Amino acid sequence: MTTLQSVRADDQLGELASAPPGEIDVAPLLGTWWATDKATDSVVKLELADRAGSFVVHAFGACTPAPCDWGERPAVPYAATVGSRDAMAFSAVYDFGFMETLLAAYMKGGILVLDTFNAFKDGSGRASYFTREFFHR
Amino acid sequence: MPAPLRLSRARDVPRDAAAGSAAPAVDPSPLVGTWVSFDAATRGLVRVVVALRGGRLAVRAFGASSPAPRDWGEAEGDAFAGGVDGVGGADRVGGVGAVAFTARYRFGFVDTLLAAYLNRRLLVVDCYSVFGDGSGRSSYFSRDHFYQPAGSASRA
Repeated sequence: MTTLQSVRADDQLGELASAPPGEIDVAPLLGTWWATDKATDSVVKLELADRAGSFVVHAFGACTPAPCDWGERPAVPYAATVGSRDAMAFSAVYDFGFMETLLAAYMKGGILVLDTFNAFKDGSGRASYFTREFFHR
Repeated sequence: MPAPLRLSRARDVPRDAAAGSAAPAVDPSPLVGTWVSFDAATRGLVRVVVALRGGRLAVRAFGASSPAPRDWGEAEGDAFAGGVDGVGGADRVGGVGAVAFTARYRFGFVDTLLAAYLNRRLLVVDCYSVFGDGSGRSSYFSRDHFYQPAGSASRA
């Protein structure tokens, strides 16, 4: 067992002598994810893609008459453990200028759970707010 | 006439958009106190202490380690309400005051984002960790659930 620098037990590789080779495989996350709540006033759709080795997210907000296209941003994939290579979560940041939004999401049982942490920067007086939504492919 | 609010989605609109821009400061007090993991055998976080320092959140996490928990020290946190009005709606998480927070720890060899929210009086803390030490360890996600022992809430 290899002892590595850590701040909690989960940081250790356990019985593995070393980390498995290669990068995190984002394939389990790829595709178009739709909000389970068709009447949501938050995020309606997420597209997760691999652009020549770069993992990206493309989000769409609930707007009328058409969804607001947030554009594509780089995303960070996460595995379930330090010794796993299968992605099951991601994070990304959208800076809209008037507001910054952190996306923090994980997959469980075929459902993607998305948390957003939103902080306004425009002096509009709107409170920073949190949302939690569920998505299916 | 004030400029129209910029939006990323419908939820960015205050319920009373004509009411002006009185700042609904997020009340962080629902988050304050000592939070203990339900899982006594967790390999993640064993305890999180949330305090107020000059009106800002101060988050202090403790990682599972032997023979004693590893004190991560204090990191500045940001508090979030359930909506732009500082309150949550029927379909939204929480009510008046903060329902979530984020905090970031940079240890050098690993960066960990804490993304946490209240579900009734349960605190759920998700950790997103990225290693930068060349050890080959995968970035990883983990989640722990916490309760507040009786008397540990410290409303500011």
